[in-house]
Amino acid sequence: MTAPYSGSCNCGAVTVTISAEPVWVRQCWCGQCQKAAAGSATNNALFATDAMTVNGDVAWKGYTAASGNTVEQGFCPSCGTPIFGRNSSRPSSWVVRLGFLDGDHDLKPTTAIWLEEAPEWAMIDPALEQFTRQPPPPPQAP
Amino acid sequence: MPHTGQCLCGQVRLTVDGEPLGARSCWCRDCQRIASGSATVNVLFPEEAVHYEGEISTIRMTADSGNTVERGFCPQCGAQLYSKTIEPAGMPMRVRAGTLDDPELMAPSATIFVDSAPAWAVMDTTLPRYSRGLDSPLLEESA
Ligand SMILES: [Zn+2]
Ligand SMILES: [Zn+2]
Ligand SMILES: [Zn+2]
Ligand SMILES: [Zn+2]
Repeated sequence: MTAPYSGSCNCGAVTVTISAEPVWVRQCWCGQCQKAAAGSATNNALFATDAMTVNGDVAWKGYTAASGNTVEQGFCPSCGTPIFGRNSSRPSSWVVRLGFLDGDHDLKPTTAIWLEEAPEWAMIDPALEQFTRQPPPPPQAP
Repeated sequence: MPHTGQCLCGQVRLTVDGEPLGARSCWCRDCQRIASGSATVNVLFPEEAVHYEGEISTIRMTADSGNTVERGFCPQCGAQLYSKTIEPAGMPMRVRAGTLDDPELMAPSATIFVDSAPAWAVMDTTLPRYSRGLDSPLLEESA
């Protein structure tokens, strides 16, 4: 399946439609993600915000990451379902949590990051591109 | 010594004065929403051993198991805290492993609701894998 994508939280109070393809899909094993995501990695698809339509209230909570950037978690205030992540270093795109997206989309992580914080029992697909911590930034456009 | 934990923002704190009864990963569709696309990893404790401090939001839903469950999360940061079964009563409380100060306190020993896992999910094939709940058929080793 390709765009548009749609998503909904567990209680249905927040729905999102997205009219574009993601820039990347990554799995993150950092300690904060494990706390937010019930013990596993978060799986995140980065989309341009101008391709998203959000219906319903989203609650946000920010903290300063090791990088010095402000990272914010967006979630449904009624059921707690994680929906978005945003980072002050890339203001025009947000990640959408893969579990929030509906049905039979074909999106899947291609990269796993922050493996140094993954628990011993974590199952990580050996086919994924893997990084101990943060991946290097993409090459700058000329 | 009690086990301790907290949410992402630290507003909710957790003390458990008992030992885990088990741990498992759940790939039911609700759990994938809760766990940002992964399975939830849950450490089971007797409900009376688990003590929370701080403000907690709860929501009651009918789970894929058909049971009525209450799920708790931090209203400030959204971190998922626990799931407990309201009906039927007496089942162990499932504390989300990521909220424990030692998320590796107990490694998962079974995987449930494998039927609804995404195609890209990787699972430990040395552990028992159940198509749905613990009373559902076990998946055969595919290798
Ligand atoms: Zn909701
Ligand atoms: Zn992370
Ligand atoms: Zn919190
Ligand atoms: Zn589940």
